[in-house]
Amino acid sequence: MTEQIDKALEREYEAGFVSEIESDTFEPGLNEDVVRRISAVKGEPEWMLEWRLKAFRIWQEMEEPDWAHVGYDKIDYQAISYYSAPKSMADKPKSLDEVDPELIETYNKLGIPLHEQEMLAGVAVDAVFDSVSVVTTFREKLYEAGVIFCPISEAVHKYPELVQKYLGSVVPQKDNYFAALNCAVFTDGSFVYIPKGVRCPMELSTYFRINEQNTGQFERTLIIADEGSHVSYLEGCTAPQRDENQLHAAVVELVAMDDAEIKYSTVQNWYPGDENGKGGIYNFVTKRGVCHTNAKISWTQVETGSSVTWKYPSCVLKGDNSIGEFYSVALTRGAQQADTGTKMIHIGKNTKSTIISKGISAGKSNNSYRGLVRMNPGADGARNFTQCDSLLIGDKCGAHTFPYVESRNPSAIVEHEATTSKVSDDQMFLCQQRGIDPEKAVSMIVNGFCKEVFKELPMEFAVEAGKLLEVSLEGSVG
Amino acid sequence: MSHWFENAIERGEQLTLSAQRTASLELLKNTPWPTRKTEAWKYTPLKAVQGFNATASEVLAAEQIEGLQAIDVVPGSELPTELPAGLTMQWLAADDVDASLFQQVKPNRHLFGLVNDVLAENVLQIRVAAGTEVATPIRIVQQLTAGSETHVRVLVEIEEKASLTVIEQFAGSEQSLNTLFAEYRIADDAKLEHYRLALQTEQAMSLGGSHFQLFDRSQLNSNVVGFGSDVSRIDMDVRHSGQHAFAKLNAIYLLDGKELFDLHSTIEHEMPNGTTEENIRGIAAGSARAVFNGRIHIHRDAQKTLAELNNRNLLLSNKAEINTKPELEIYADDVRCAHGATIAETDKTALYYLQSRGIGKEEAQIMLNFAFINELVDDMPNQAIAEWLRPQLRQRFAKMGE
Amino acid sequence: MLKINNLQASVEEKQILKGLNLEINPGEVHAIMGPNGAGKSTLGNVLSGRDGYEVNEGSAELDGADLFDLEPEERAHAGLFLAFQYPVEIPGVSNLEFLKAAIEAHAKANDIEPPSSAELLKQAKEACKAVDLPLAFLKRGVNEGFSGGEKKRNEILQMMLLKPKLAILDETDSGLDIDALQVVAKGVNSMRAADRSLIVVTHYQRLLDYIKPDFVHVLADGKIVKSGGPELAHELEAQGYAWLENGEKAGENA
Repeated sequence: MTEQIDKALEREYEAGFVSEIESDTFEPGLNEDVVRRISAVKGEPEWMLEWRLKAFRIWQEMEEPDWAHVGYDKIDYQAISYYSAPKSMADKPKSLDEVDPELIETYNKLGIPLHEQEMLAGVAVDAVFDSVSVVTTFREKLYEAGVIFCPISEAVHKYPELVQKYLGSVVPQKDNYFAALNCAVFTDGSFVYIPKGVRCPMELSTYFRINEQNTGQFERTLIIADEGSHVSYLEGCTAPQRDENQLHAAVVELVAMDDAEIKYSTVQNWYPGDENGKGGIYNFVTKRGVCHTNAKISWTQVETGSSVTWKYPSCVLKGDNSIGEFYSVALTRGAQQADTGTKMIHIGKNTKSTIISKGISAGKSNNSYRGLVRMNPGADGARNFTQCDSLLIGDKCGAHTFPYVESRNPSAIVEHEATTSKVSDDQMFLCQQRGIDPEKAVSMIVNGFCKEVFKELPMEFAVEAGKLLEVSLEGSVG
Repeated sequence: MSHWFENAIERGEQLTLSAQRTASLELLKNTPWPTRKTEAWKYTPLKAVQGFNATASEVLAAEQIEGLQAIDVVPGSELPTELPAGLTMQWLAADDVDASLFQQVKPNRHLFGLVNDVLAENVLQIRVAAGTEVATPIRIVQQLTAGSETHVRVLVEIEEKASLTVIEQFAGSEQSLNTLFAEYRIADDAKLEHYRLALQTEQAMSLGGSHFQLFDRSQLNSNVVGFGSDVSRIDMDVRHSGQHAFAKLNAIYLLDGKELFDLHSTIEHEMPNGTTEENIRGIAAGSARAVFNGRIHIHRDAQKTLAELNNRNLLLSNKAEINTKPELEIYADDVRCAHGATIAETDKTALYYLQSRGIGKEEAQIMLNFAFINELVDDMPNQAIAEWLRPQLRQRFAKMGE
Repeated sequence: MLKINNLQASVEEKQILKGLNLEINPGEVHAIMGPNGAGKSTLGNVLSGRDGYEVNEGSAELDGADLFDLEPEERAHAGLFLAFQYPVEIPGVSNLEFLKAAIEAHAKANDIEPPSSAELLKQAKEACKAVDLPLAFLKRGVNEGFSGGEKKRNEILQMMLLKPKLAILDETDSGLDIDALQVVAKGVNSMRAADRSLIVVTHYQRLLDYIKPDFVHVLADGKIVKSGGPELAHELEAQGYAWLENGEKAGENA
């Protein structure tokens, strides 16, 4: 039975192709000069460079964390190139017609058409290729609504007061090793500002692609939802199939002002490496949002890629009545390792958080949920509910749960539950007896296991996520 | 580096030690003193231990448990001579520990366990011969007196089809430091009923552990009660080294004032078909700090394991603190494992219900809090111990928050 | 329709079926009764191909097709349906989604057009009514949180939609109160047809008051030891199984 299940979970990594694109790539290595060069290439103002340098000095003093339940060869930070951009981007193309067709073709192949007329009407896309943003669609339409959606490198020039005020305000330079590194060398990413009272008219989306060999990708995303505004943001990522590991150390900061709402969804499909653990992306990401009064931040993630994942999208529930949510599906197979979860820091009164985590382990993989729920002394009436479920497929994988629960407020209520289960022979047999083949049966059972999370995803992503788990939700039954 | 710790190592170096104890000393020398960043001591500062200086070493027996007939053992005192048939007990000399039992069950990772390996001046060995059911409980009892520093080791072997009850009991409130580590090997079809009554309070510090190795079809029923003090730390380790073993672990902690209580439990399911049930309940009032870390580790071969852990807490003051971390580490797929943890305050609906029936709020609160804990007291197989504990617990509840 | 010849099967190397013969014609309803441990449930599991049930000897043909050559789902496509004694829960997979997957797989295997979503929904709603389950059950996970009786009714619902040639009801009456039993029986009876056969496996005669069999077989120690008409069930009800087992043992001793 296990063999059939394994077979059902096997799938080709469809995004594993390499695009033939001429790039300007820095020599591998990292020192202050490299940080200065990145800043210079981006033509950054002095304050930005100083900020980077400060982060770099902090990073040099820090040690790489080793507490996660993952193992990997030590990263040689001097063997990585910290900047790579397609040559054709050097002249800053003014419209899509001037962009290298090979680049556009790359995104077409990934199912992300960049021509606005071909796109899903409701989604604006920022396409980040290695270290630069290639194009951001629907900018004018968004601008009419007052929404700013642009590469962060551009925001540094155009909206310096917003960037200066909020960059590092949620994830400071000294937050952790990988975040400090990102602060020093980040190259691009998306910047979003939703003005007061505005409901963003379309879904915003960034699609990250690593293409060049031996480069790291260090993107930085900053989303500010001003009072009473609302935005839904999607993020996708892929990389070519290579034998070497590549580092991806991103930072995402969300600021939800009073009464604002940010919904942040990720479908992470970086190259996971082969069955034996050769190659793949190290996905070491810091994501955090701060909620002011009555604000809400909702993280939804479907993690299927990367050889090693280290990621804890978190919410700082600062304002009274603010809400944090975390919905996660993490599927590991082959030799993948994932250590992912969330932190919910309750500071304000009557703050609420919900954590639903579904881990699926197959092959020889290891899948860990790691979470922190903290009720601070001022968090009167705060409430948390956490549900962590693990599904094991086969007897060579591992499923782990490491939840930290800390309470300092007697009127706060914290509830944590974790269970583990397998795709049982009985379930498989029932499906087969009703005529459903084993592959389809596994897909259905795994999909059913993840349903609570999938329903949180925007429609387009739910479909993609379903496909990623090789689950075809044919028709619209259910 | 801690003053006390350096001093402990120096003292160890002056002792004549067996090979095993020398190995522990070497290990200890290479073990860094825990800080806030040391995962196992994240919530438990050891400043009070660092600053401790022994000034006396008097050991007294703690009070009797009314209604309980037990074979009392006071560390440093003579052992009772008349023992039931099949039961043997002896004190081992520092350089004469029995290799077949010493340091066989207790994992090396416990820092104070290593200290105990080296410094234990009293090593008690207990054996129950195959097939012997010892009806009278053995009570190892310690009154921690002012200025004393004591290190006690207990080695217990329960042979096939034998059964035994052991009570490890602590009392005292004056400044003192104690480590007591007990190792239990429970052979095929054998049974152990176990109590660790960590009732030391205030400045009486105790860091220790009870460690169990279970073989085929053996049964463990362990009950921990903790009141907390400047530093109170217990490590419970259960190793399922045989199949179809059953372990039940109940613990309650009841903290007030500035008390700290830290319970770490680790269950290792190494073999198939084992069962573990863990029920931990705690209450923290005043500015107390409760720490619970419950790890269940299902090894690759431990198919068909059934393991459940439930930790429920009541937090009664906004200066108190409860930290809990139930952990699962699972490498076998055909298992049923679950854990749950909650932290809340006394159920307001129930409180209101009692009040509406004319019961005063404070009394109602005591009733409900007591009921919350009492479920596990009721679950203790030894009625005399349960009876003896109840009024003490009730008294604690009445004092809480004052 | 079904031809079982000298079927011998074992579970975990213990032989359970010890040479079972049975022939069922289209439209017939056969009851298989017997004491606990006789191998009643094993028969259904072996025929439908459950893992862990090993066929040591003998054959079983459904309309000429050798069942033991087929994967479990292929046996289902060939028209075999097993109503489980203990239906398993599949959390998160809705009943309707599950039925749709099953019906489409049947249609594909038999090269016929599957019903449209609308048509399927209509059929499912009708079946729901027939077995007295609220429509909301269609959206709930397969058997997830269902009571024992609801699970059994859900099995009959699936049978009604999958329209098998041969259905085996494995102790469908166990755990049902009298009202639920009548609902289930009504559902089963509505499925009786000239081209459909039923095997009703049960410990008690009770169910057979509602689903009238054409033939009754007594299964003991892995073999059919007695066959007869419906009157045999009443005989068993009156006398219990003890005489049979004793008789069996006496026979062995002889």
